[in-house]
Amino acid sequence: MTLSTMLSTMGAGMIRTCLIFVLTLVGSLPLGMIVALLRKSRFAPVRGIISVYISIMRDTPLMLQLLCWYFGPFYLFGWNIGSWRFPAIIVGFVLNYAAYFAEIYRGGIESIPAGQYEAAEVLGYSKAQTFIRIILPQVIKIIMPSVTNEVITLVKDTSLAFTLAYQEVFSLAKQISASQTSFMPFLIAGIFYFVANYIVEIVMKRIEKSLDYYK
Amino acid sequence: MKKKFTVLFIAFTMIFTMLAFAACGGSGGGAAPADEGDKYGEGFVFKHGFDLDYEPYSFIDDNGQNGGFDVELAQAVCEYYGWEYEPVPFNWDAKDAELNAGSCDCIWSGFTVNGREDDYLWSMPYSDNTQKIMVKKDSGITSLADLAGKNVGVQTATSAYTSLTEGDQKELKDTFSDLKVYETYTIAITDLNAGAIDAVAVDVTRAQDAMAEDDGLTVLDEDLGSEIYAIGFRKDEQELCDKINAALEALAADGTVAKIADNYPTIKEYITLGK
Repeated sequence: MTLSTMLSTMGAGMIRTCLIFVLTLVGSLPLGMIVALLRKSRFAPVRGIISVYISIMRDTPLMLQLLCWYFGPFYLFGWNIGSWRFPAIIVGFVLNYAAYFAEIYRGGIESIPAGQYEAAEVLGYSKAQTFIRIILPQVIKIIMPSVTNEVITLVKDTSLAFTLAYQEVFSLAKQISASQTSFMPFLIAGIFYFVANYIVEIVMKRIEKSLDYYK
Repeated sequence: MKKKFTVLFIAFTMIFTMLAFAACGGSGGGAAPADEGDKYGEGFVFKHGFDLDYEPYSFIDDNGQNGGFDVELAQAVCEYYGWEYEPVPFNWDAKDAELNAGSCDCIWSGFTVNGREDDYLWSMPYSDNTQKIMVKKDSGITSLADLAGKNVGVQTATSAYTSLTEGDQKELKDTFSDLKVYETYTIAITDLNAGAIDAVAVDVTRAQDAMAEDDGLTVLDEDLGSEIYAIGFRKDEQELCDKINAALEALAADGTVAKIADNYPTIKEYITLGK
């Protein structure tokens, strides 16, 4: 196999990797916020369910969760899972990352002093207005570094999709390495991951800079 | 205001739940056969389950495409019936779950019958293969007895692995210093060359591939046992199995099988179809 074939085959894998990455972020960033707010719900059963969910997601390996999401529908309901591979990967990643993002959001929300809520109430802000106009802008600033960390981890975690034999860049590296008896594909995969994460770093830095209000 | 907020959240949660159910439902009905009578007629989507890490039967070829003897033969069968070929590469250790869950119609990837006779519905055998011990030429190991006290490598979930851990060669394994289990033979063979292990238990065809690339390697004359390759189906798929058998016979008769085998010189002599 020529180097250019190797690069283009693995490039196609990198696109699949990016697809997991983007869909996971699009799903888990908002879902994490919902989970974080539900965790502070005044309705105790909701709080309970949410904290069990977060515990399960954080305390079991993502690899195991992916296997459960993919094979679960068959073992539980006997369904044919012919076209379920990719959706299962996305569901697994979104639910797992939402749990982590929820905890990051919670940390940010709880770091805002209670005095601000009281002041907002005195000024006649509703709960929703207080949250969206006063609390959220500060929370976003506080949590940005942690979110960046998590996003970078996500780029590398996409390689776990190989558990479900989804041909993202790392699965392909393994397979090409096997057929070509060469370690070159792993090196290429490493460069791909590095470049992807370097771009993430630059973008996140830009976003942090654009959030320099309240200074 | 507070009520509005709560309603918003409940709405969001419901949307997510519904989306999740929709996704599940969609997958459930995805592969329903429309017409029992003509289930395997033209246009049937044949889902070929295989390991993409098993040269020369199924692997990523020099053009970056799915290739290998089994892949080409499966494509030829599909062409024969006018079926649509759908490759389903999977992780070898999840093959049974994939087959039972219906993500593929068969396991067809240098799949050994020996020891699994009752676990699947088998097609006619198409290859006769043997497991060997591969060593470095200068290692001084010339017989199975010389392996006593040595480190031997094997790929997980292969027939060589099964034979050594729970099959006929378990006693031989007990003479080893250690049996190192690798995820792929590529890494095991790299480790053999690097001197981390003394021998690799491997199918003869895979060993020949490795020896073709590195003439410092050789195999012992004694073997660990022979094995038959066939296609494994779910046990209730007799009709599909019969169809494939008929196609294999026809393709062997018209020379297609021999033509495909010519592309894979290392396994050509083991292909029993049409001989």
